[in-house]
Amino acid sequence: MNGLIQLLNSHGIPQDFVIKAAFYFIATLTLVFALFVVLSRHIFRAAVYLAVVLTCIACVYLFLDAEFLAVVQVLIYVGAIVVLFIFTVMLTADIDSGTFAGTLRRMSVAAVASLAIFFILFKVINMVTAWKTAVPAGVSINLSQLGKSLMTGYALPFEVISLVSLAALVGALVIGKAEKR
Amino acid sequence: MIPESHFLMLGAALFSIGVFGVFTRRNAIGILMSIELILNAANINLITFSKFSASPDGLGQIFALFVIAIAAASAVVGLCLVISIYRNSKTILVNKINLMKW
Repeated sequence: MNGLIQLLNSHGIPQDFVIKAAFYFIATLTLVFALFVVLSRHIFRAAVYLAVVLTCIACVYLFLDAEFLAVVQVLIYVGAIVVLFIFTVMLTADIDSGTFAGTLRRMSVAAVASLAIFFILFKVINMVTAWKTAVPAGVSINLSQLGKSLMTGYALPFEVISLVSLAALVGALVIGKAEKR
Repeated sequence: MIPESHFLMLGAALFSIGVFGVFTRRNAIGILMSIELILNAANINLITFSKFSASPDGLGQIFALFVIAIAAASAVVGLCLVISIYRNSKTILVNKINLMKW
């Protein structure tokens, strides 16, 4: 982000406008493709749209000065999870039939419910006008700082999460193993 | 710069879309995809608060890392269950799966 700002400054382009325009463009793209993920008739296409959404969210992380998380997002989500989704879609047949939600009544009920949730969240976000900031806004957390606190203050959760990953690995092997006949 | 509420709005909208997907999808893989959308909305909120509020050691980013790890684990187990269910009952439509219904 800082490099981009320097580049824009050296060419005399108003950086604020460019960054804002880029953010709103990416945010719109995220929401549009998220709707495609939810509404697409073909589950395979939904998986591809999900990859687009996750990449856009990685770009949003860049606007929040979380470069490491953007890289992790692309590696883990786009690289691993979406590929896993696509594999599963391939392994389970009849991918084209009956994937859509169906009845209009159910769709409308779900739409009303999710719009209500969004409305409540919207109200709450608008209610709080200024968030308390102790750190001056714009101070970015660099990678070595993140790594240090992960290895000192948050070492126990880090170890627990590695155990969770191991448990998921073993559990997936046990569940997915073909039964002997 | 971009105000923090706009990031939160993006998270809220993404969360609502994910909830809509969980409600409407009949395909188990589709439901898992919608859950991934919801988890990403939570991550956007966590990182926004990490940037704009008092978190000297990047607590929000560490939480987001943990959320990503949990999401990966849940996706692995969930998709494995989907494959297992498909192998047993030849369908992944959640309204056709009534194995544990009395």
